[in-house]
Amino acid sequence: MRQLLRNQIFQLLLALFIGLGLGLAYSWRVSPVTYVDANPAILRADFKDQYRVVIAASYASTHNLERARARLQLLGDTDMVSELSAQAQRMVARGELLEHIKPVAQLATDLQNGVASLPPTQIPSTIVSYVSTPFTNNNNLPFTLTPVTEIPTEELSATETQSTPEDKPLKSTPTTTFKQTALVPVTASTFVPRPTFTPIPLPGAPFILVGQDQVCKSGTQPGLLQFILTDRYHKQIAGIEIIITSLQGEDHSFTGFKPELGNGYADFVMQADTVYSIRVAGGAFVPDISAPMCKDSNGASYLGGLLLTFQQP
Amino acid sequence: MTQSNWIKIVIAAFLGIALGLIYGWVIDPIQYTDITPNLLRQDYRADYVLMVAEAHQTDQDTETAARRLAIFGSDSPAQIVASTLVYANANNFTENEIIILQGLLTAMQTYQPQGASVP
Repeated sequence: MRQLLRNQIFQLLLALFIGLGLGLAYSWRVSPVTYVDANPAILRADFKDQYRVVIAASYASTHNLERARARLQLLGDTDMVSELSAQAQRMVARGELLEHIKPVAQLATDLQNGVASLPPTQIPSTIVSYVSTPFTNNNNLPFTLTPVTEIPTEELSATETQSTPEDKPLKSTPTTTFKQTALVPVTASTFVPRPTFTPIPLPGAPFILVGQDQVCKSGTQPGLLQFILTDRYHKQIAGIEIIITSLQGEDHSFTGFKPELGNGYADFVMQADTVYSIRVAGGAFVPDISAPMCKDSNGASYLGGLLLTFQQP
Repeated sequence: MTQSNWIKIVIAAFLGIALGLIYGWVIDPIQYTDITPNLLRQDYRADYVLMVAEAHQTDQDTETAARRLAIFGSDSPAQIVASTLVYANANNFTENEIIILQGLLTAMQTYQPQGASVP
């Protein structure tokens, strides 16, 4: 051992590794790289939720679906619609205000449909479009978020550069290189393509009750009142408010919070021996709803459920 | 041990430190996740404030707007919007967006948090 310590090469290597350790300790522990120009993709989960709520609230005001989509892409979600739907459910579970939840569900629905629920209020002939929703860098670095906006390519021109280390994790699947300035408006003399108008029901369109079926399946939630709301083409619609009233008070439910069961699906658990009135926002009123009693194969009674189907005429 | 040997050891140690720093700062720096919004780049912050302003323009809910702005930390909502407005003017935001931000600024300047007026 003593002979080894006297070996000059060993001494040099030992010094090198000690120095390396000190350098790493300093750079990782004492003075690590600090981010001051981070992007939203690395926000903490609760702040991402807040970011989505604000995007949805902004969208509810502007109805600019492409911009909302571009903003959501900043968060790096693999499936924006699912994230929004899941967040809407979390917000319901937390008992948050319905006026905050509804825009989130509406944005999820509109993203899924690919069209804004209401047309933009103004389409000027000369459009000053804001091309810098800040989801790109301009340093000729590949940026991996797949562009889905229909902004003309000439608007995606670079004038400034800003790259940040935090872009690095996003480089795993490069698809397109954007060159773009941060928040610099460009006056475009050409029309920005608008979303193709597809007739979709407005939130206030009337619904009528087209089906009322007992659900007697053992193993399901007792007293489960299920709703399915569709448009005239039998396409399920999210974001419709359903008001359930009983002597105990009033409850609100929204379609679309359980997308795995359908965008137009909502449910509510009825209590036994309680009569409910159902009102669909801007539409049908169904009084005298109560949980039916079902019998299993042994003749024993149990609380069944109901399925109400509403449709726009 | 001779003096030249010591010099070689010191050089090797410094070389190791340099390599460690390069690796730790450049090659494989600490990857941050779960950051707070006050670390966002300025254009992202400005876009967030603009979104709050767009929502406020419709719902006129000053309390909610102030709470949404509060995620940026200790600055007052009015200060946050004011600095965004400076950024917006410097970066050629559209006239409409400037107006929306000014509306939010006015609302924030007159905003009294709930409970603040209670003696």
